[in-house]
Amino acid sequence: MSDSPTQGSAQPEHDHEHHHNHEGPGYATPQAAIEEGGREKLAYVMSLYVGTDVDAPDFVAVVDLDPESDTYCEIVDRIEMPNRGDELHHFGWNACSSSCHMEGLERQHLIVPGQRSSRLHVIDAADRRNPELVEVIEPEEVFEYDLSAPHTVHCVPDGQILISMLGDADLPGGFLELNEDFEIEGRWEPPGEIEMNYDYWYQPRQNVMVSTEWAAPKTYYPAFDLEDVEEGKYGQKIHFWDWEDGTVEQTIDLGEEGQIPLEVRFLHTPESTHGFVGTALSSNMFHFWRDEEAGEYRAEKAIDFEAREHPDWDMPVPGLTTDILISLDDRYLFGSNWLHGEVWMYDISDPSNPRRADSLSVGGTFGDVREVQGREIVAGPQMLQLSLDGERLYWTTSLFSSWDDQFYPEEAERGSVMLKADVDPRTGTLELDEDFLVDWGECPAGPARAHEIRWPDGDCTSDVWQ
Amino acid sequence: MDRHEIRLEWPTGRTRTLAVREDETVLEAAGRDGIGLPYGCRTGACGTCAGRLLEATGHESDDRTLDVDDAFAYRRCQRALKDRHRADGYVLLCVAEPRADCRLAVGPSVHTELVENPWK
Ligand code: FES
Repeated sequence: MSDSPTQGSAQPEHDHEHHHNHEGPGYATPQAAIEEGGREKLAYVMSLYVGTDVDAPDFVAVVDLDPESDTYCEIVDRIEMPNRGDELHHFGWNACSSSCHMEGLERQHLIVPGQRSSRLHVIDAADRRNPELVEVIEPEEVFEYDLSAPHTVHCVPDGQILISMLGDADLPGGFLELNEDFEIEGRWEPPGEIEMNYDYWYQPRQNVMVSTEWAAPKTYYPAFDLEDVEEGKYGQKIHFWDWEDGTVEQTIDLGEEGQIPLEVRFLHTPESTHGFVGTALSSNMFHFWRDEEAGEYRAEKAIDFEAREHPDWDMPVPGLTTDILISLDDRYLFGSNWLHGEVWMYDISDPSNPRRADSLSVGGTFGDVREVQGREIVAGPQMLQLSLDGERLYWTTSLFSSWDDQFYPEEAERGSVMLKADVDPRTGTLELDEDFLVDWGECPAGPARAHEIRWPDGDCTSDVWQ
Repeated sequence: MDRHEIRLEWPTGRTRTLAVREDETVLEAAGRDGIGLPYGCRTGACGTCAGRLLEATGHESDDRTLDVDDAFAYRRCQRALKDRHRADGYVLLCVAEPRADCRLAVGPSVHTELVENPWK
Protein backbone atom coordinates (compact mmCIF):
# COMPACT_ATOMS: atom_id res chain seq x y z
CA MET A 1 0.00 0.00 0.00
CA SER A 2 1.01 3.56 -0.37
CA ASP A 3 1.78 5.73 2.61
CA SER A 4 -0.10 8.63 1.21
CA PRO A 5 -3.24 9.27 3.18
CA THR A 6 -5.28 10.00 0.12
CA GLN A 7 -4.08 7.23 -2.11
CA GLY A 8 -3.27 4.52 0.35
CA SER A 9 -6.62 3.94 1.92
CA ALA A 10 -9.17 1.33 1.17
CA GLN A 11 -12.59 1.92 -0.17
CA PRO A 12 -15.20 2.33 2.50
CA GLU A 13 -16.04 -1.07 3.88
CA HIS A 14 -19.67 -0.31 4.25
CA ASP A 15 -22.03 1.74 2.22
CA HIS A 16 -23.39 4.55 4.32
CA GLU A 17 -25.26 6.37 1.58
CA HIS A 18 -23.20 9.46 1.71
CA HIS A 19 -24.34 12.31 -0.47
CA HIS A 20 -22.68 15.65 -0.20
CA ASN A 21 -25.75 17.80 -0.26
CA HIS A 22 -24.71 19.33 2.96
CA GLU A 23 -27.58 20.28 5.26
CA GLY A 24 -26.52 19.71 8.84
CA PRO A 25 -24.03 21.58 11.03
CA GLY A 26 -20.37 21.94 10.20
CA TYR A 27 -18.51 21.87 6.94
CA ALA A 28 -18.80 19.53 3.95
CA THR A 29 -15.07 18.71 3.92
CA PRO A 30 -11.95 19.65 5.91
CA GLN A 31 -10.98 21.93 3.02
CA ALA A 32 -14.38 23.66 3.25
CA ALA A 33 -13.70 24.33 6.93
CA ILE A 34 -10.40 25.97 6.00
CA GLU A 35 -12.00 28.11 3.30
CA GLU A 36 -15.33 28.98 4.94
CA GLY A 37 -14.51 28.90 8.65
CA GLY A 38 -12.97 32.35 8.98
CA ARG A 39 -10.66 33.49 11.73
CA GLU A 40 -11.37 32.36 15.30
CA LYS A 41 -12.79 35.26 17.31
CA LEU A 42 -13.67 33.47 20.54
CA ALA A 43 -12.40 30.46 22.41
CA TYR A 44 -14.05 28.35 25.07
CA VAL A 45 -11.53 27.19 27.63
CA MET A 46 -11.92 24.78 30.55
CA SER A 47 -10.95 26.66 33.72
CA LEU A 48 -10.38 25.09 37.08
CA TYR A 49 -10.29 25.69 40.79
CA VAL A 50 -10.53 22.06 41.83
CA GLY A 51 -8.06 21.11 44.54
CA THR A 52 -6.92 24.64 45.37
CA ASP A 53 -7.57 27.06 48.21
CA VAL A 54 -9.96 29.05 46.05
CA ASP A 55 -13.41 28.10 47.24
CA ALA A 56 -15.16 28.37 43.87
CA PRO A 57 -16.47 26.01 41.19
CA ASP A 58 -14.69 25.34 37.89
CA PHE A 59 -15.91 27.39 34.94
CA VAL A 60 -15.86 27.65 31.17
CA ALA A 61 -14.05 30.82 30.11
CA VAL A 62 -15.04 32.69 26.98
CA VAL A 63 -11.87 34.29 25.65
CA ASP A 64 -11.82 37.14 23.15
CA LEU A 65 -9.40 36.32 20.31
CA ASP A 66 -10.36 39.12 17.97
CA PRO A 67 -7.36 41.43 17.56
CA GLU A 68 -9.75 44.21 16.50
CA SER A 69 -11.65 44.03 19.77
CA ASP A 70 -11.11 46.19 22.88
CA THR A 71 -11.22 43.08 25.02
CA TYR A 72 -8.65 41.11 22.95
CA CYS A 73 -6.88 38.53 25.13
CA GLU A 74 -9.40 38.90 27.93
CA ILE A 75 -11.82 36.47 29.51
CA VAL A 76 -15.12 38.13 28.57
CA ASP A 77 -17.52 35.66 30.18
CA ARG A 78 -17.40 32.82 32.69
CA ILE A 79 -19.95 30.03 32.88
CA GLU A 80 -19.73 28.71 36.43
CA MET A 81 -20.55 25.12 37.24
CA PRO A 82 -23.11 24.54 40.00
CA ASN A 83 -20.73 22.46 42.15
CA ARG A 84 -17.12 22.63 43.22
CA GLY A 85 -14.56 19.95 42.58
CA ASP A 86 -15.48 18.83 39.06
CA GLU A 87 -12.06 19.07 37.37
CA LEU A 88 -13.41 20.14 33.99
CA HIS A 89 -11.06 18.56 31.50
CA HIS A 90 -12.09 17.74 27.92
CA PHE A 91 -15.38 18.71 26.29
CA GLY A 92 -17.15 18.56 22.97
CA TRP A 93 -20.11 19.54 20.82
CA ASN A 94 -23.47 17.85 20.43
CA ALA A 95 -22.97 18.08 16.66
CA CYS A 96 -19.99 18.51 14.34
CA SER A 97 -19.27 18.08 10.66
CA SER A 98 -20.04 14.36 11.04
CA SER A 99 -23.68 15.29 11.61
CA CYS A 100 -23.94 16.61 8.08
CA HIS A 101 -27.02 14.49 7.36
CA MET A 102 -28.90 15.67 10.39
CA GLU A 103 -31.18 18.42 9.27
CA GLY A 104 -32.27 20.60 12.14
CA LEU A 105 -29.34 19.65 14.36
CA GLU A 106 -27.03 22.52 15.25
CA ARG A 107 -23.61 22.87 16.79
CA GLN A 108 -25.16 24.52 19.78
CA HIS A 109 -24.58 22.52 22.94
CA LEU A 110 -21.29 21.88 24.66
CA ILE A 111 -21.07 18.73 26.73
CA VAL A 112 -18.74 19.53 29.62
CA PRO A 113 -17.77 16.59 31.85
CA GLY A 114 -16.18 16.77 35.27
CA GLN A 115 -13.22 14.38 35.27
CA ARG A 116 -13.09 14.02 39.07
CA SER A 117 -16.78 14.38 39.86
CA SER A 118 -18.18 12.31 36.93
CA ARG A 119 -20.84 15.03 36.57
CA LEU A 120 -21.92 15.94 33.02
CA HIS A 121 -22.92 19.51 32.16
CA VAL A 122 -24.71 20.76 29.06
CA ILE A 123 -24.07 24.34 28.02
CA ASP A 124 -26.18 26.10 25.42
CA ALA A 125 -23.81 28.20 23.32
CA ALA A 126 -26.38 29.55 20.84
CA ASP A 127 -25.30 32.99 22.03
CA ARG A 128 -21.59 32.54 21.35
CA ARG A 129 -20.45 35.28 23.74
CA ASN A 130 -22.83 34.42 26.58
CA PRO A 131 -23.36 30.69 26.77
CA GLU A 132 -25.61 29.29 29.46
CA LEU A 133 -25.63 26.15 31.56
CA VAL A 134 -28.89 24.32 30.79
CA GLU A 135 -28.60 20.77 32.12
CA VAL A 136 -26.69 18.76 34.66
CA ILE A 137 -26.48 14.98 34.84
CA GLU A 138 -25.49 14.06 38.39
CA PRO A 139 -22.71 11.52 39.09
CA GLU A 140 -25.11 9.00 40.65
CA GLU A 141 -26.91 8.67 37.31
CA VAL A 142 -23.60 7.95 35.59
CA PHE A 143 -22.46 5.46 38.24
CA GLU A 144 -25.57 3.37 37.55
CA TYR A 145 -23.94 2.23 34.33
CA ASP A 146 -20.79 1.17 36.18
CA LEU A 147 -18.87 4.02 34.63
CA SER A 148 -17.02 7.04 35.98
CA ALA A 149 -14.41 9.63 35.04
CA PRO A 150 -15.73 10.99 31.71
CA HIS A 151 -13.19 12.12 29.15
CA THR A 152 -13.48 12.58 25.38
CA VAL A 153 -16.80 13.79 23.96
CA HIS A 154 -17.66 13.33 20.29
CA CYS A 155 -21.03 13.59 18.66
CA VAL A 156 -21.77 10.49 16.63
CA PRO A 157 -23.40 10.66 13.21
CA ASP A 158 -27.02 9.99 14.20
CA GLY A 159 -27.33 12.85 16.67
CA GLN A 160 -26.11 11.01 19.74
CA ILE A 161 -23.13 11.79 21.92
CA LEU A 162 -20.47 9.33 22.96
CA ILE A 163 -18.21 9.90 25.97
CA SER A 164 -15.17 7.80 26.83
CA MET A 165 -15.20 6.85 30.51
CA LEU A 166 -12.04 5.87 32.30
CA GLY A 167 -13.40 3.61 34.94
CA ASP A 168 -16.06 2.41 37.29
CA ALA A 169 -13.68 4.21 39.64
CA ASP A 170 -11.58 1.04 39.48
CA LEU A 171 -11.42 -0.77 36.15
CA PRO A 172 -12.56 -1.29 33.42
CA GLY A 173 -13.46 1.81 31.46
CA GLY A 174 -16.03 2.04 28.72
CA PHE A 175 -18.25 4.40 26.76
CA LEU A 176 -21.41 6.22 27.78
CA GLU A 177 -23.95 7.27 25.19
CA LEU A 178 -26.31 10.24 25.51
CA ASN A 179 -29.28 10.83 23.25
CA GLU A 180 -30.19 14.04 21.43
CA ASP A 181 -32.04 15.26 24.52
CA PHE A 182 -28.92 14.76 26.64
CA GLU A 183 -30.36 11.82 28.52
CA ILE A 184 -28.23 8.80 29.28
CA GLU A 185 -29.03 6.19 26.69
CA GLY A 186 -26.77 3.56 28.24
CA ARG A 187 -23.47 1.92 27.64
CA TRP A 188 -22.35 2.04 24.05
CA GLU A 189 -20.29 -1.15 24.01
CA PRO A 190 -20.78 -4.53 25.63
CA PRO A 191 -18.89 -4.29 28.97
CA GLY A 192 -15.52 -5.98 29.13
CA GLU A 193 -14.16 -5.02 25.70
CA ILE A 194 -11.32 -2.99 27.18
CA GLU A 195 -9.66 -2.47 30.52
CA MET A 196 -8.24 1.01 30.39
CA ASN A 197 -9.58 3.89 28.40
CA TYR A 198 -8.73 7.49 27.58
CA ASP A 199 -9.13 9.26 24.24
CA TYR A 200 -10.78 8.03 21.08
CA TRP A 201 -11.32 9.08 17.47
CA TYR A 202 -13.51 7.55 14.82
CA GLN A 203 -13.40 7.43 11.03
CA PRO A 204 -16.94 6.50 10.00
CA ARG A 205 -16.15 5.98 6.33
CA GLN A 206 -13.73 3.26 7.36
CA ASN A 207 -16.05 1.93 10.06
CA VAL A 208 -13.24 2.24 12.59
CA MET A 209 -12.71 3.78 15.98
CA VAL A 210 -9.39 3.88 17.85
CA SER A 211 -9.11 4.26 21.62
CA THR A 212 -6.17 4.71 23.99
CA GLU A 213 -5.29 3.98 27.62
CA TRP A 214 -4.40 6.18 30.57
CA ALA A 215 -5.07 4.19 33.74
CA ALA A 216 -7.78 3.55 36.30
CA PRO A 217 -8.98 6.76 37.97
CA LYS A 218 -7.73 5.63 41.38
CA THR A 219 -4.26 5.38 39.82
CA TYR A 220 -3.99 8.71 37.97
CA TYR A 221 -6.38 10.87 40.04
CA PRO A 222 -4.16 11.28 43.12
CA ALA A 223 -0.95 12.00 41.13
CA PHE A 224 1.76 10.29 39.10
CA ASP A 225 3.75 7.58 40.86
CA LEU A 226 6.54 5.66 39.07
CA GLU A 227 5.75 2.69 41.29
CA ASP A 228 2.40 2.41 39.50
CA VAL A 229 4.20 2.30 36.15
CA GLU A 230 6.42 -0.51 37.41
CA GLU A 231 3.36 -2.39 38.61
CA GLY A 232 1.77 -2.15 35.16
CA LYS A 233 -1.03 0.12 36.26
CA TYR A 234 -0.60 2.51 33.30
CA GLY A 235 -1.66 1.66 29.77
CA GLN A 236 0.42 0.99 26.67
CA LYS A 237 -2.16 -0.39 24.23
CA ILE A 238 -4.38 1.05 21.54
CA HIS A 239 -7.61 -0.58 20.45
CA PHE A 240 -9.22 -0.62 17.03
CA TRP A 241 -12.98 -1.01 17.11
CA ASP A 242 -15.65 -1.98 14.64
CA TRP A 243 -17.45 1.34 14.79
CA GLU A 244 -20.88 -0.02 13.95
CA ASP A 245 -20.75 -3.06 16.21
CA GLY A 246 -19.00 -1.36 19.10
CA THR A 247 -16.58 -4.23 19.57
CA VAL A 248 -12.78 -4.35 19.61
CA GLU A 249 -11.38 -5.94 16.48
CA GLN A 250 -7.70 -5.54 17.20
CA THR A 251 -5.46 -4.43 20.05
CA ILE A 252 -1.89 -3.30 19.54
CA ASP A 253 0.48 -3.35 22.50
CA LEU A 254 2.93 -0.49 21.92
CA GLY A 255 5.37 -1.92 24.47
CA GLU A 256 7.81 0.02 26.63
CA GLU A 257 8.25 2.67 23.99
CA GLY A 258 4.54 3.34 23.99
CA GLN A 259 3.80 3.94 27.65
CA ILE A 260 0.68 5.95 28.41
CA PRO A 261 -0.85 6.52 24.97
CA LEU A 262 -3.03 9.60 25.37
CA GLU A 263 -4.31 11.76 22.52
CA VAL A 264 -5.13 9.93 19.31
CA ARG A 265 -5.98 11.45 15.92
CA PHE A 266 -6.90 10.06 12.56
CA LEU A 267 -6.05 12.27 9.60
CA HIS A 268 -9.03 14.47 8.76
CA THR A 269 -9.46 13.10 5.23
CA PRO A 270 -12.42 10.77 5.76
CA GLU A 271 -10.96 8.01 3.58
CA SER A 272 -7.69 7.91 5.46
CA THR A 273 -6.76 5.03 7.73
CA HIS A 274 -3.61 6.79 8.93
CA GLY A 275 -3.29 8.42 12.29
CA PHE A 276 -1.00 9.26 15.20
CA VAL A 277 -0.99 8.62 18.89
CA GLY A 278 1.22 10.42 21.38
CA THR A 279 2.60 8.29 24.20
CA ALA A 280 3.13 10.64 27.11
CA LEU A 281 5.52 8.82 29.41
CA SER A 282 7.82 7.36 26.77
CA SER A 283 7.42 10.59 24.79
CA ASN A 284 7.16 8.94 21.38
CA MET A 285 4.82 9.49 18.51
CA PHE A 286 3.40 6.35 16.92
CA HIS A 287 2.08 6.31 13.38
CA PHE A 288 -0.68 3.76 12.77
CA TRP A 289 -2.32 2.72 9.53
CA ARG A 290 -4.30 -0.12 8.07
CA ASP A 291 -2.23 -2.66 6.19
CA GLU A 292 -4.74 -3.63 3.53
CA GLU A 293 -2.98 -6.82 2.52
CA ALA A 294 -2.86 -8.16 6.04
CA GLY A 295 -6.31 -6.78 6.76
CA GLU A 296 -5.23 -5.21 10.01
CA TYR A 297 -3.76 -2.12 11.61
CA ARG A 298 -0.07 -1.60 12.23
CA ALA A 299 1.67 0.88 14.51
CA GLU A 300 5.26 2.05 14.34
CA LYS A 301 7.27 4.55 16.34
CA ALA A 302 7.66 7.56 14.07
CA ILE A 303 9.07 10.29 16.32
CA ASP A 304 11.23 9.82 19.40
CA PHE A 305 11.71 12.62 21.89
CA GLU A 306 14.76 11.87 24.02
CA ALA A 307 14.75 12.40 27.77
CA ARG A 308 17.03 15.28 28.77
CA GLU A 309 19.43 15.74 31.66
CA HIS A 310 18.67 18.63 33.94
CA PRO A 311 21.30 19.82 36.44
CA ASP A 312 18.79 19.95 39.30
CA TRP A 313 16.94 16.73 38.59
CA ASP A 314 18.13 13.22 39.55
CA MET A 315 17.16 11.34 36.42
CA PRO A 316 16.83 12.23 32.74
CA VAL A 317 13.52 14.04 32.32
CA PRO A 318 11.07 12.78 29.67
CA GLY A 319 9.40 15.35 27.44
CA LEU A 320 5.96 14.13 28.53
CA THR A 321 4.16 14.53 25.22
CA THR A 322 0.67 15.24 26.48
CA ASP A 323 -1.24 16.66 23.51
CA ILE A 324 -1.10 16.37 19.73
CA LEU A 325 -3.23 17.64 16.86
CA ILE A 326 -3.27 17.46 13.08
CA SER A 327 -3.86 20.52 10.90
CA LEU A 328 -7.07 20.36 8.87
CA ASP A 329 -5.13 19.95 5.64
CA ASP A 330 -3.41 16.87 7.14
CA ARG A 331 -0.04 18.41 6.44
CA TYR A 332 1.31 19.03 9.93
CA LEU A 333 1.30 17.27 13.27
CA PHE A 334 1.68 19.57 16.28
CA GLY A 335 2.40 18.53 19.83
CA SER A 336 3.45 19.66 23.26
CA ASN A 337 6.22 18.29 25.47
CA TRP A 338 4.89 19.56 28.75
CA LEU A 339 7.90 18.82 30.94
CA HIS A 340 10.49 20.04 28.44
CA GLY A 341 8.47 23.17 27.75
CA GLU A 342 8.23 22.75 24.01
CA VAL A 343 5.67 22.94 21.24
CA TRP A 344 6.70 21.24 18.03
CA MET A 345 5.58 20.87 14.46
CA TYR A 346 6.28 17.95 12.10
CA ASP A 347 5.53 17.70 8.42
CA ILE A 348 3.46 14.52 7.97
CA SER A 349 2.86 14.76 4.21
CA ASP A 350 4.31 11.25 4.29
CA PRO A 351 2.88 9.99 7.58
CA SER A 352 5.32 7.12 7.90
CA ASN A 353 8.25 9.53 7.69
CA PRO A 354 7.44 12.60 9.75
CA ARG A 355 9.94 15.38 9.15
CA ARG A 356 10.70 17.85 11.90
CA ALA A 357 9.64 21.30 10.75
CA ASP A 358 10.11 23.52 13.79
CA SER A 359 9.76 23.78 17.54
CA LEU A 360 9.46 26.48 20.10
CA SER A 361 10.86 26.44 23.59
CA VAL A 362 8.77 28.32 26.10
CA GLY A 363 8.36 27.88 29.85
CA GLY A 364 8.54 24.40 31.32
CA THR A 365 11.58 22.80 32.85
CA PHE A 366 13.95 23.53 29.96
CA GLY A 367 12.15 26.26 28.05
CA ASP A 368 14.02 29.36 26.91
CA VAL A 369 11.21 31.89 26.97
CA ARG A 370 10.06 32.12 30.55
CA GLU A 371 8.35 35.47 30.40
CA VAL A 372 5.77 36.90 28.04
CA GLN A 373 4.87 40.54 28.61
CA GLY A 374 6.56 40.39 31.99
CA ARG A 375 4.45 37.41 33.06
CA GLU A 376 6.56 34.49 34.18
CA ILE A 377 5.50 31.24 32.53
CA VAL A 378 5.55 28.68 35.34
CA ALA A 379 4.51 25.54 33.42
CA GLY A 380 5.07 23.97 30.02
CA PRO A 381 2.78 24.03 26.97
CA GLN A 382 -0.03 21.55 27.29
CA MET A 383 -3.44 21.55 25.51
CA LEU A 384 -3.21 22.81 21.94
CA GLN A 385 -5.65 24.26 19.48
CA LEU A 386 -4.95 25.36 15.92
CA SER A 387 -6.83 27.84 13.78
CA LEU A 388 -8.80 26.27 10.94
CA ASP A 389 -6.41 27.78 8.39
CA GLY A 390 -3.45 26.33 10.28
CA GLU A 391 -1.77 29.69 10.86
CA ARG A 392 -2.22 30.23 14.58
CA LEU A 393 -1.38 27.71 17.27
CA TYR A 394 -2.69 28.38 20.79
CA TRP A 395 -1.97 26.49 23.99
CA THR A 396 -2.63 26.46 27.72
CA THR A 397 -0.37 25.17 30.49
CA SER A 398 -2.33 23.00 32.93
CA LEU A 399 -2.41 19.21 32.57
CA PHE A 400 -4.37 17.84 35.53
CA SER A 401 -4.59 19.53 38.90
CA SER A 402 -2.83 16.84 40.93
CA TRP A 403 -0.14 16.32 38.28
CA ASP A 404 0.38 20.08 37.99
CA ASP A 405 0.98 20.20 41.74
CA GLN A 406 3.67 17.59 41.36
CA PHE A 407 5.59 19.04 38.43
CA TYR A 408 4.69 22.73 38.38
CA PRO A 409 3.51 23.60 41.91
CA GLU A 410 3.58 27.31 41.13
CA GLU A 411 0.75 26.87 38.63
CA ALA A 412 -1.71 26.68 41.57
CA GLU A 413 -0.49 30.01 42.97
CA ARG A 414 0.04 31.86 39.70
CA GLY A 415 -2.65 30.34 37.49
CA SER A 416 -2.30 29.25 33.87
CA VAL A 417 -1.70 31.25 30.76
CA MET A 418 -2.79 30.87 27.15
CA LEU A 419 -0.11 31.61 24.58
CA LYS A 420 0.01 31.68 20.81
CA ALA A 421 2.49 31.07 18.03
CA ASP A 422 2.15 32.23 14.45
CA VAL A 423 2.59 29.34 12.07
CA ASP A 424 3.83 29.64 8.52
CA PRO A 425 2.58 26.47 6.82
CA ARG A 426 4.58 27.26 3.66
CA THR A 427 7.94 27.39 5.36
CA GLY A 428 6.97 25.09 8.25
CA THR A 429 7.92 27.55 10.99
CA LEU A 430 6.60 28.63 14.36
CA GLU A 431 7.08 32.02 15.95
CA LEU A 432 5.94 33.01 19.43
CA ASP A 433 3.53 35.94 19.35
CA GLU A 434 4.90 37.98 22.24
CA ASP A 435 1.90 40.32 22.12
CA PHE A 436 -0.52 37.54 22.95
CA LEU A 437 -1.19 36.55 26.54
CA VAL A 438 -4.35 35.48 28.35
CA ASP A 439 -3.70 35.28 32.07
CA TRP A 440 -5.81 33.04 34.34
CA GLY A 441 -3.78 34.42 37.24
CA GLU A 442 -6.04 37.46 37.24
CA CYS A 443 -9.44 35.80 37.63
CA PRO A 444 -11.65 37.54 40.21
CA ALA A 445 -11.95 34.57 42.61
CA GLY A 446 -8.22 33.86 42.39
CA PRO A 447 -5.73 32.21 40.02
CA ALA A 448 -7.27 29.42 37.94
CA ARG A 449 -5.86 26.67 35.75
CA ALA A 450 -6.68 26.56 32.03
CA HIS A 451 -7.04 23.35 30.06
CA GLU A 452 -8.74 22.37 26.78
CA ILE A 453 -9.60 24.97 24.10
CA ARG A 454 -12.46 24.87 21.56
CA TRP A 455 -13.63 27.22 18.83
CA PRO A 456 -17.35 27.99 18.64
CA ASP A 457 -17.64 26.62 15.12
CA GLY A 458 -15.50 23.53 15.13
CA ASP A 459 -11.81 22.85 15.33
CA CYS A 460 -9.01 20.42 14.55
CA THR A 461 -9.73 18.23 17.55
CA SER A 462 -13.52 17.99 17.53
CA ASP A 463 -14.63 17.72 13.91
CA VAL A 464 -14.92 14.38 12.14
CA TRP A 465 -16.09 13.95 8.56
CA GLN A 466 -18.37 11.21 7.35
CA MET B 1 -26.36 9.28 67.27
CA ASP B 2 -22.92 9.96 68.69
CA ARG B 3 -21.09 13.05 67.64
CA HIS B 4 -17.40 13.76 67.75
CA GLU B 5 -15.48 16.96 67.95
CA ILE B 6 -13.29 17.40 64.92
CA ARG B 7 -10.88 20.28 64.94
CA LEU B 8 -9.76 21.31 61.45
CA GLU B 9 -6.37 23.02 61.23
CA TRP B 10 -5.14 24.86 58.14
CA PRO B 11 -1.45 25.60 57.52
CA THR B 12 -2.22 29.31 57.88
CA GLY B 13 -3.10 28.78 61.53
CA ARG B 14 -6.85 29.05 60.96
CA THR B 15 -8.88 26.47 62.90
CA ARG B 16 -12.54 25.42 63.12
CA THR B 17 -14.17 22.82 65.28
CA LEU B 18 -17.10 20.77 64.00
CA ALA B 19 -19.47 18.39 65.71
CA VAL B 20 -19.63 15.47 63.29
CA ARG B 21 -22.19 12.66 63.64
CA GLU B 22 -21.07 9.07 63.28
CA ASP B 23 -23.21 8.64 60.17
CA GLU B 24 -21.79 11.59 58.26
CA THR B 25 -18.41 12.19 56.71
CA VAL B 26 -16.15 15.03 57.79
CA LEU B 27 -16.57 16.55 54.31
CA GLU B 28 -20.38 16.48 54.59
CA ALA B 29 -20.30 18.07 58.03
CA ALA B 30 -17.93 20.79 56.85
CA GLY B 31 -20.17 21.50 53.85
CA ARG B 32 -23.19 21.79 56.14
CA ASP B 33 -21.32 24.40 58.17
CA GLY B 34 -20.28 26.29 55.05
CA ILE B 35 -16.60 25.38 55.38
CA GLY B 36 -14.86 24.95 52.05
CA LEU B 37 -12.63 21.90 52.09
CA PRO B 38 -11.15 20.61 48.82
CA TYR B 39 -12.83 17.63 47.17
CA GLY B 40 -13.30 16.02 43.77
CA CYS B 41 -14.82 12.56 43.31
CA ARG B 42 -16.46 12.18 46.75
CA THR B 43 -15.98 8.42 46.38
CA GLY B 44 -12.52 7.88 47.85
CA ALA B 45 -10.84 7.58 44.45
CA CYS B 46 -9.08 10.88 43.81
CA GLY B 47 -7.34 11.96 46.99
CA THR B 48 -8.29 15.64 46.62
CA CYS B 49 -9.97 15.69 50.04
CA ALA B 50 -7.02 14.19 51.92
CA GLY B 51 -6.54 15.25 55.53
CA ARG B 52 -3.87 14.16 58.00
CA LEU B 53 -4.64 12.98 61.51
CA LEU B 54 -2.73 15.05 64.05
CA GLU B 55 -4.23 13.58 67.18
CA ALA B 56 -7.22 11.45 68.17
CA THR B 57 -8.46 10.68 71.60
CA GLY B 58 -10.86 7.97 72.71
CA HIS B 59 -14.02 8.92 74.52
CA GLU B 60 -14.69 10.20 78.00
CA SER B 61 -12.04 9.41 80.62
CA ASP B 62 -10.10 7.42 78.04
CA ASP B 63 -7.32 9.69 76.79
CA ARG B 64 -5.09 7.22 74.99
CA THR B 65 -3.98 8.32 71.53
CA LEU B 66 -5.61 6.49 68.64
CA ASP B 67 -4.34 5.78 65.18
CA VAL B 68 -6.24 6.79 62.07
CA ASP B 69 -8.13 3.55 61.55
CA ASP B 70 -9.43 3.70 65.13
CA ALA B 71 -10.47 7.30 64.71
CA PHE B 72 -12.57 6.75 61.57
CA ALA B 73 -14.88 4.27 59.90
CA TYR B 74 -14.86 4.45 56.11
CA ARG B 75 -18.03 4.56 54.10
CA ARG B 76 -16.17 3.31 51.03
CA CYS B 77 -12.65 2.09 50.70
CA GLN B 78 -9.93 4.70 50.42
CA ARG B 79 -8.75 3.75 46.95
CA ALA B 80 -6.67 6.87 46.43
CA LEU B 81 -4.44 6.17 49.40
CA LYS B 82 -1.53 3.77 49.31
CA ASP B 83 -0.67 1.71 52.38
CA ARG B 84 2.24 4.00 53.17
CA HIS B 85 -0.13 6.99 53.22
CA ARG B 86 -2.57 5.29 55.56
CA ALA B 87 0.28 4.27 57.82
CA ASP B 88 1.32 7.93 57.93
CA GLY B 89 -2.13 9.00 59.14
CA TYR B 90 -3.66 10.33 55.94
CA VAL B 91 -7.42 10.04 55.63
CA LEU B 92 -9.90 10.79 52.85
CA LEU B 93 -12.46 13.10 54.38
CA CYS B 94 -15.15 12.35 51.77
CA VAL B 95 -15.53 8.79 53.01
CA ALA B 96 -14.39 9.10 56.65
CA GLU B 97 -16.95 9.03 59.47
CA PRO B 98 -15.54 9.81 62.91
CA ARG B 99 -15.33 7.38 65.80
CA ALA B 100 -13.29 9.62 68.08
CA ASP B 101 -12.54 13.27 68.76
CA CYS B 102 -9.60 14.44 66.75
CA ARG B 103 -7.46 17.15 65.23
CA LEU B 104 -6.93 17.08 61.48
CA ALA B 105 -4.61 18.99 59.15
CA VAL B 106 -6.71 20.11 56.16
CA GLY B 107 -6.44 22.20 52.98
CA PRO B 108 -5.01 21.44 49.54
CA SER B 109 -1.43 21.25 50.78
CA VAL B 110 -2.23 17.97 52.55
CA HIS B 111 -2.82 16.32 49.19
CA THR B 112 0.35 17.77 47.74
CA GLU B 113 2.33 16.25 50.63
CA LEU B 114 1.33 12.85 49.28
CA VAL B 115 2.95 13.28 45.91
CA GLU B 116 6.42 14.09 44.78
CA ASN B 117 8.10 14.62 41.46
CA PRO B 118 9.67 11.23 40.72
CA TRP B 119 12.46 12.73 38.62
CA LYS B 120 13.63 15.32 41.07
S1 FES C 1 -12.99 13.72 47.07
FE1 FES C 1 -11.98 12.25 45.88
S2 FES C 1 -11.13 10.98 47.42
FE2 FES C 1 -12.33 12.31 48.53
